[in-house]
Amino acid sequence: MLTKTLTSEPVGEIKAVVVEPSVARCTPRSRFAALATFLAIVAQFGLIVMVVGYWQLESLPLARLMALAFAGFVIHHLLPVRFRLPFFAMLSLVAVITGVGHFGPNIWRSWLIGKMTTTGFLYHLLPGSTLIGIGLGLIGLCHLPIRFAARVGLVAVAGAGLAFLRGHSQWFPDVSEMWVILGSMFMFRLMIYLYDLKHRTAPFSLAHAVSYFFLLPNVCFPLFPVVDYKTFCSTYYNEDWPPIYQTGLKWIFRGVIQLLLYRIIYQFAPLDVYKLTSALDVAGCMLGMYLLYLRISGTFHLIVGLLHMFGFNLPETHHLYLLASSFTDFWRRINIYWKDFVMKLFFYPMHFKLRRMGTVWALSLATLGTFLATWLLHSWQWFWIRGMPLFNWKDFSFWMILAVLVLVTAIYETTRVRKRTLTPSRVTLRQRLILGLQAAGVFSLMCILWAYWSCQSWAEFETLIDAASRPTFREMMIVLGTLLLVCVCAMLWGRSSRETSEGRSTPATRAPFHFWPSAATVAIGALCLLILPSIATRVIPRLKPVIARLHGDTLNARDMAQQRRGYYEELDVGGMDNWQWHNAEEPEGWSRGKKAFYRERSDFLLKDLAPSMSTVLGGTPCTSNSLGLRDREYQRAKPAKTYRIVLLGASNDMGTGVKDDQTYENLVEDRLNARVPDARYSRYEILNLSVAADTILQRVLRLEEEGFGFQPDAAILSVTAVDEQVMASHIRKALIQGVEPPPGYREVVESVVHRARVNGKMPAVMIDRRLQPYFTELCKWSFQRFAQECTQRGVRPLVIYRPMPADFSGMESAARRQIIGLARNAGLEVLDLSPAFDSVADRSSLMLAKWDDHTTALGHRLLADMLYEGVVPLLFASQSTQQVSHLEKP
Amino acid sequence: MNPQEIKPTVKTFILNEYLPGEDPAAFTDTTPLMTTGILDSIAVLKVVTFLENQFGITIEPHEAVVENLNTLSDIERFVMSKKA
Repeated sequence: MLTKTLTSEPVGEIKAVVVEPSVARCTPRSRFAALATFLAIVAQFGLIVMVVGYWQLESLPLARLMALAFAGFVIHHLLPVRFRLPFFAMLSLVAVITGVGHFGPNIWRSWLIGKMTTTGFLYHLLPGSTLIGIGLGLIGLCHLPIRFAARVGLVAVAGAGLAFLRGHSQWFPDVSEMWVILGSMFMFRLMIYLYDLKHRTAPFSLAHAVSYFFLLPNVCFPLFPVVDYKTFCSTYYNEDWPPIYQTGLKWIFRGVIQLLLYRIIYQFAPLDVYKLTSALDVAGCMLGMYLLYLRISGTFHLIVGLLHMFGFNLPETHHLYLLASSFTDFWRRINIYWKDFVMKLFFYPMHFKLRRMGTVWALSLATLGTFLATWLLHSWQWFWIRGMPLFNWKDFSFWMILAVLVLVTAIYETTRVRKRTLTPSRVTLRQRLILGLQAAGVFSLMCILWAYWSCQSWAEFETLIDAASRPTFREMMIVLGTLLLVCVCAMLWGRSSRETSEGRSTPATRAPFHFWPSAATVAIGALCLLILPSIATRVIPRLKPVIARLHGDTLNARDMAQQRRGYYEELDVGGMDNWQWHNAEEPEGWSRGKKAFYRERSDFLLKDLAPSMSTVLGGTPCTSNSLGLRDREYQRAKPAKTYRIVLLGASNDMGTGVKDDQTYENLVEDRLNARVPDARYSRYEILNLSVAADTILQRVLRLEEEGFGFQPDAAILSVTAVDEQVMASHIRKALIQGVEPPPGYREVVESVVHRARVNGKMPAVMIDRRLQPYFTELCKWSFQRFAQECTQRGVRPLVIYRPMPADFSGMESAARRQIIGLARNAGLEVLDLSPAFDSVADRSSLMLAKWDDHTTALGHRLLADMLYEGVVPLLFASQSTQQVSHLEKP
Repeated sequence: MNPQEIKPTVKTFILNEYLPGEDPAAFTDTTPLMTTGILDSIAVLKVVTFLENQFGITIEPHEAVVENLNTLSDIERFVMSKKA
């Protein structure tokens, strides 16, 4: 007996029908065949676990979970049927405890060898245990022996209380990691569970409830398919195990492929709206944004595939949604579980209440109500993931536009009955062509709608459209070619055999199952994913960085640039797009000093540092001197026998995230004073005029307006590969604030502004995009100005190229060549510090944190070593030689 | 209404509404309707309204499911249970 009632309520005749393993009734030969089948499944599962680990899909916890699921699967299968569900429930609880508490092998090892105290060891159990305790409490409330309405009320009160605590998760830092998973497990499933409990449409037992809510893979996936309780119970081993397991493996493999495709798109598609320069870029950007959804469909396939490995023969979650031929078809194919959930809990109840109003009215109101609920529930989900609700016009309008599109199609389908047949009929070429054209139309409209949803703001979407103006004939042909490809794919595979997902898992509605071809496909595919990258990189070494970018969960160029821009604009990282919820956020107080440390200016420099300020930047104490420099105290007038250098740079040069005495310029200054490379000078000073977010144009202007006032002997202009990227922000802010450039700068800035057709009333993102083609011109002009102004004043100009801590987007090499070339063409001496980080194997270790790409103290030390070695021969060539010979004498 | 009339009545309705021109003989008591897409979610609502009007029963939202409406036999059994 699989079911055991949890409450005193009668369950009726509803029981899970479990198909007993066929092995039991088979001959020895069949037993051997069954053993071979099982071993083939184990081998495939093992290979897939290796693939997930090899490609570091999603996160380290997923690799651990896959290993746990693999071991659990073997034990689960070998257990008698009656023990399987309780075992799955226990395994899920173990996954929660280990997953939420990051309970990896290192913790076990540390505890076993005595490196970690038992209290410390148990501390790691706390988040998972708390989650389980809360979860069991919620399940208990659903089964209290009181009126059903009272139970619903109690669950609602408990949910509200938990939501309040989620909003104040900082009150319980020890368990803060469990809230996202708790929300993911209970926020929707409780609704379904209560609905099915009310109507008693499925069996209820402790094992069922624990298995359903604490579903094994859930601990790694805050975005989880809304599994229906009734389907969950009714599909449990509802046929023999080989097709269930093999289908699961096939879906896990499909999920892995989709997650890899997602990475390719995420890393290589032109997703940065600021950088779009042609209509083709815009089309690529829209397509890329739409295809980023592969991450969701991929994880859902993987999740449901994993559940298959434990006998839950659930239907598929997505069905060729890119080939949908109408908006209702799209709604039925994308996130099928969500569609079923809202249909069950919202659409049908509303429609049944409204049907007296007539079919069209009931359909219209129920559809709009359902999409409204979808929007609210989406915000509810966002709240549990991010700790704050997502209420904005963009999200609301996206769901409402989709609602109207689905509704119009649904009314059309209601009034014009589509052709249905009892038997599969031959589809004519004309019918296929119509289907293909419809799919291409829906595909292109969904790309646009998805881009609208994915853009950070209306202005960004406007900029996207702006970039698409005046497409060339070639660009139009490429876009049409892509749509033609969609059309052909839809003609071949777009015709769904069923119009609904209901009953999809029933054997009667599925194509005949062929185990061995499917097993061979999965095994060969998994082997290819393990072996081919090594072969490919050996045969074509150029592929190495490409493959490296596909490993791991690194940010792409757009998100790195966005974080940088976010930093430059002092925006909240929380504003990142819907799919970036997983990226680590800046801890509270990390940059709390920003507002106090920087002062607005009314001239073209726009800002500077507040003098004598002590605060925190990049999580580290930071002070400014009485002259308003992030540096030690200096006299304004240069002391006698002093060699003075002024450094002009941005936040990394300013030393954001490192202590005052750890900045590379202070380290070089200390070394100069210690070694005295030129006997003519007894003291060396490097005055750091760097200000965070200064563009090259501002750095040169700062030298003219402030730097020359310090009577420097040399001026060092620090440049990086990303300087071009941020060039626009300065001019845009000046335009918006109506600040005039000073004489000398006015001509070049006004010329660029005129040719770029920008003005201060435009959306910021549009100004930035239109200014982009002029960045090189502005850099070139700035270098020339720097050389010219320094020469006129007898100051030695020097440009240093400072490498970025990490080069995730792989653009540093080309950008470095470009900017160094511009400086050299202006007649400037350039000291390239890029080899400074060559000794560091993992460049990302030079970043302060995942959310902050400023250079660490180690990075500053390496820069200082290189700068000192380079600057001494350049500035003190003859004297340093004498000094070295002098030092070498006994 | 006579219980024997349930299946023919529903069959005629579905043939007229959704399967015009199809061979009635090919539409058996066990032909799947919902799982094969002959009845999609919107068509199910029409069938529900028809069953309520025709047989004087009230159907709840949670009853408009594949277990009750997938075949003519399922529909007959469901209507009979509602009338009981």
